[in-house]
Amino acid sequence: MSEHPSSDDRLDELTAALPREIAPPPELWGSIRAELTPRRGRAWWASGWRLAAAGLVVAVSSSLATITVMRLRERAPMVASAPRAAVPATPRATEAPPLPAQLVSTEQQYVRSVEALRRKLDERRDSLAPSTVATVERSLRIADSAIAEARAALERDPSNAVLAALFASNYERKIDVLRRAAELAPRT
Amino acid sequence: MASALSLVRPVVTTHPSGHAEREPVGEDALVDRARRGDVDAFERLYQLHAGRVHALCLRLAGQPMEARELVQDTFVHAWEALPRFRGESSLTTWLHRIAVNAMLERRRRDRRRSARVSLAGDEDEVEGAPLGGGSVPPADVATAIDLERAIAALPPGVRRAFVLHEVEGYSHEEVAGMTGLATGTLRAQLHRARQLLIRALSL
Repeated sequence: MSEHPSSDDRLDELTAALPREIAPPPELWGSIRAELTPRRGRAWWASGWRLAAAGLVVAVSSSLATITVMRLRERAPMVASAPRAAVPATPRATEAPPLPAQLVSTEQQYVRSVEALRRKLDERRDSLAPSTVATVERSLRIADSAIAEARAALERDPSNAVLAALFASNYERKIDVLRRAAELAPRT
Repeated sequence: MASALSLVRPVVTTHPSGHAEREPVGEDALVDRARRGDVDAFERLYQLHAGRVHALCLRLAGQPMEARELVQDTFVHAWEALPRFRGESSLTTWLHRIAVNAMLERRRRDRRRSARVSLAGDEDEVEGAPLGGGSVPPADVATAIDLERAIAALPPGVRRAFVLHEVEGYSHEEVAGMTGLATGTLRAQLHRARQLLIRALSL
């Protein structure tokens, strides 16, 4: 063996000596944990009627909440609410009226999550019972309707924090329906 | 380029010869629990794998802020995708794939946002590319940290190939599968990476 290793050998030696692990900053887990969406057990959702019930709950609760908030707003139009920044024209896939910038950003994140879950669900569609797929789609249409309702209300009253929370909550619920549907066992 | 890698202190030094995958006892059980929504189990998995994922991300990204974001993206995505993890590859490999995908997605996004010539050009145009803008350390201090700096200063595509194949030990085919590169291109990038590193370290 040569006493003078070649450049390639020396590079290999140095590369092999590199640490395989480098600890991330300690606070990083906290940031990650804050982004983890809760997951519930599958069993509760392992049937189509429960999905349908979930969709119905989303629709009814969202509609009632939106109506209630709007009526309260009409009765007490002078209730103070924090002014929000003007809305930049953020491009979206569909023509969308302006919302507060923070909500636009939030909605974009939700839309990305929805699209990703949609793709997953579509991939699994063939393994699910047709009745389940129909129920899921119905639930999603209802959820979309609830989102649209809250969105329309927000467009009329962009500074209403309760409507903003409701809007986000409707997306959360839609995502929840999608996630659970994507996790359903085959032929359920 | 002043590599921030030197600011990151490795807390675990493991000799990589053989590239054995670490599969701690009880990991399957942790995966099962995390699949069912147990965040504490997922935190334990994070503790077991974050060091390796972070090392990979740091070397792929070449700078710590982006590496941190990549680690975050990787574990958030892993949490979402864990119910579909079937154990066909090791959890380490699975996490690495997610990290590589997250990094590639960032690059695609960056390219869409900005048509800067420097960004588009340094992916493949490595001929004559300066390595670290002249800040590559001299041969007499050619330590592991110097190598880290030199790796960080490689053009992104070349760096990715070197890190995945030479540092992480993935085969040409595996790296090609992860990155979408043709194996011929990959081999050329690996050759170029070695040339640049040997030159930079005056080996």
